[in-house]
Amino acid sequence: MRDTLTAYRGLARGGTLVAVTYRGRLVLRVLTGFFPLLMMAVWLTVVAEGGPPAGWTAGDFLAYYAAATLVVNLSGDHVVWQWDADLRSGDLSLRLLRPLHPFHQYAAADLGQRAVTLVALGPALALAAVLSPALDYPVTPARLVAFAAALVLAYALGLLTASTFALLGFWSTQTANVWLLWWGLGSFASGWVAPLELLPPWLRTAALVLPFRSMMGFPVELLTGRLDGAQTAFGFAVGLGWLGVFALLYRFGWRRGVRRHQAVAG
Amino acid sequence: MIEVRDLAKHYRVHRRQPGLAASLRSLVRREHVTVRAVERVSFTISAGEVVGFLGPNGAGKTTTLKCLTGLLHPTAGAVRVLGHTPHRRESAFLRRISLVMGQRNGLFWDLPAADAFEVNRAVYGIAEGPYRAALDELVDLLGLAELLGRQVRVLSLGERMRCELAGALLHRPDVLFLDEPTLGLDVNGQAAVRAFLRDYNDRHGATVLLTSHYMGDVTALARRVLVVDRGTLRFDGDLAALVEAHSPHRLVRVTLRAPVPAATWAGLGEPVTVDGAVVTLAVPRAETAAVAGRLLATLPVEDVAIEDPPIEEIIRAVFAHA
Amino acid sequence: MIRRQLRVLRICWRAAVAADLEYRLQFLSAAALSAFWMVWAVAGASVYFRFAGSVAGWTHGEVLVVIGLFFTLNGLRQTLLQPNLELMSDHVRRGTLDFLLTKPFDAQLLVSLGRVRVTNLLDPALGLVLTTVGVGLAGRGVSPGRLAAFLLLLACAAVLLYALTVLLMAATVVLVAAEDLDRVSFAFVELSRFPVDLYRDPARTLLTVVPVAFLTTYPGAALLGRLDPRLLPVAVLVAAGAVALATAAWRRALRTYAGVGG
Repeated sequence: MRDTLTAYRGLARGGTLVAVTYRGRLVLRVLTGFFPLLMMAVWLTVVAEGGPPAGWTAGDFLAYYAAATLVVNLSGDHVVWQWDADLRSGDLSLRLLRPLHPFHQYAAADLGQRAVTLVALGPALALAAVLSPALDYPVTPARLVAFAAALVLAYALGLLTASTFALLGFWSTQTANVWLLWWGLGSFASGWVAPLELLPPWLRTAALVLPFRSMMGFPVELLTGRLDGAQTAFGFAVGLGWLGVFALLYRFGWRRGVRRHQAVAG
Repeated sequence: MIEVRDLAKHYRVHRRQPGLAASLRSLVRREHVTVRAVERVSFTISAGEVVGFLGPNGAGKTTTLKCLTGLLHPTAGAVRVLGHTPHRRESAFLRRISLVMGQRNGLFWDLPAADAFEVNRAVYGIAEGPYRAALDELVDLLGLAELLGRQVRVLSLGERMRCELAGALLHRPDVLFLDEPTLGLDVNGQAAVRAFLRDYNDRHGATVLLTSHYMGDVTALARRVLVVDRGTLRFDGDLAALVEAHSPHRLVRVTLRAPVPAATWAGLGEPVTVDGAVVTLAVPRAETAAVAGRLLATLPVEDVAIEDPPIEEIIRAVFAHA
Repeated sequence: MIRRQLRVLRICWRAAVAADLEYRLQFLSAAALSAFWMVWAVAGASVYFRFAGSVAGWTHGEVLVVIGLFFTLNGLRQTLLQPNLELMSDHVRRGTLDFLLTKPFDAQLLVSLGRVRVTNLLDPALGLVLTTVGVGLAGRGVSPGRLAAFLLLLACAAVLLYALTVLLMAATVVLVAAEDLDRVSFAFVELSRFPVDLYRDPARTLLTVVPVAFLTTYPGAALLGRLDPRLLPVAVLVAAGAVALATAAWRRALRTYAGVGG
């Protein structure tokens, strides 16, 4: 355990260093990180022309999408691309020869990169909050703690689902496509396409029990003060449940995958 | 230390003819063939040995190495390395080995090698003291002082390979596997890597297994060679024994003061090359001394030299016999 | 000269197509994914129209016209431009640009169009289908004049994309760093997913200047007969100017490269 923690520190440092090596890349990442705000811009037009849809004011949209930008950029599912690249190039072999499970190698490096994202994005969002009076979160200490916990849960679940899907790479070259399909379907139930309250009721109901909302909509809704105690507890329960499910799936897939790797690829 | 018994590794690959039409056809239907990459190979290696794998491309060298490091699960046979079964990939096993692949990059492309070393230190959980000692030694032996702070992608191939070696040895592995470590390096780069490996083996008694299709790597480093071809072991033993077993001739090079008629060589040996006054004769191994004596006694000789044929030719002879 | 260049391009493309077909699953799943993303985009846009009959003067059907054009251009980008940008950043990384420059061939053409990736070839086709459906839903009919204006503007949009690619390649050479510049072209096209009018100022003005509006908004508007005809010559000028700028940048980049690399 202590070994793994030490390893995390060193690997996270490596991830951070890679992320900050190129300024240009950093700027691009921050700029493309603001993509959710485009959808917000369209909603603001809708509000300006026809009044608040389903009671959502311009301020509501601002608060939602600012938080969403943060959560999306701190998501743990970016590891799927490195897994996929390594499985294709054969560089996974190098990772397999290290005395630390590749899952941890990818996770730690990604944490290092997320830290950079946070440092780059955090000030921009803070500035936006100061400049824009509409960006006003109903913050209480308890809610902040719950938001932080939901953020950690969102990260962990993103990391675990992405890693589980990445294991498909042991059998198939289609990891990226399958992952995109999963992500695309999930984006309707996660709060990415639009805040869940603006979606048809049947979709909203389904989203409550699917894993996607835990990775984006849930923390955002928590921070914007849209959830009461029971809804918060339910959200955590669903997220933790899926965490368990994917942990089992991952373990199963990993054992099979490595055996397969040792049979054919090396 | 390393025990391999009846190792076999087969896999299925899909086959396709070149051309657009064939690729369209293979979109629908695929042909598969079973490749017997390694077939019933057995050998034992003791601690501290330096062993070279020789053989043409696709002979099964890399597959064998991958079975030994645990990247591949053997189709049949038993492999033990350091008392472990490699394909279980136990942490205790992985901490004691290292694999360097000439065409793979274990460093971070965009970062200086020093940063990758720090990551390795974390991954292998190397304590500060031993890490410093190992790093200082490797920096010294490989001449890395100037290179550590430069981005890996701006290093030359030779410089990168030296960094790669250092990164692979920071945790002081007991067994070092090298897959084509000098691939693509120039003469100086090859020499540097060879000198380092020899030195490192002397100092730490690490067991070294290397594959290479550069004969020079093997002759410079390995006293013992394993020759593999088409998945089977053709020869296992001393380099000197390999030479003796497969080259019944030695080469006698005679430099004459004046050219002599070709008929002169009858009964002495087979002229391999005739370059004016310099003639190279292939002479049966046992008779070389006698032939040299007769040459000196009967011809206007300026100089006589006796040597073994180049190792490449001997290897070619090994494969030709098969 | 031109004929030889076309022949080289044809050989390059044939090899690339054969390589792509080798991955049959990749090919099929990319096609399936293309269809999926189209459904996704249409469903996503429909959320806005749950609450409004039109947004910034664009009806649901009219927005679909633009989304269809977005898929057309994005497919073009993924088929023709992205693989070449990736190759370029590879060349810079590995320092193999020299090999390329020593070949007896117009380097700009070879590096910008030498590679194709056919896996995304379905997008342009699907995109045009969606555009047609959108035109039908909008119910404004089609006329030969509108169609001609549309085709001209679409050609200008393709030229703009090409110019951006050459510009990014020049940037790759000058910066001698393979920073993933293809993200810029991705973002550029991604911004054209909706008519720029849907964003409010200052974003709208910015996207007109950048000039994202010329990619899908204006061609779509032309097809729907709602475009100010004075924009036609402007679009041609913008496209021509972009190519001139990109070519100049590329030449300059090569000079710098020769100077540094020796």
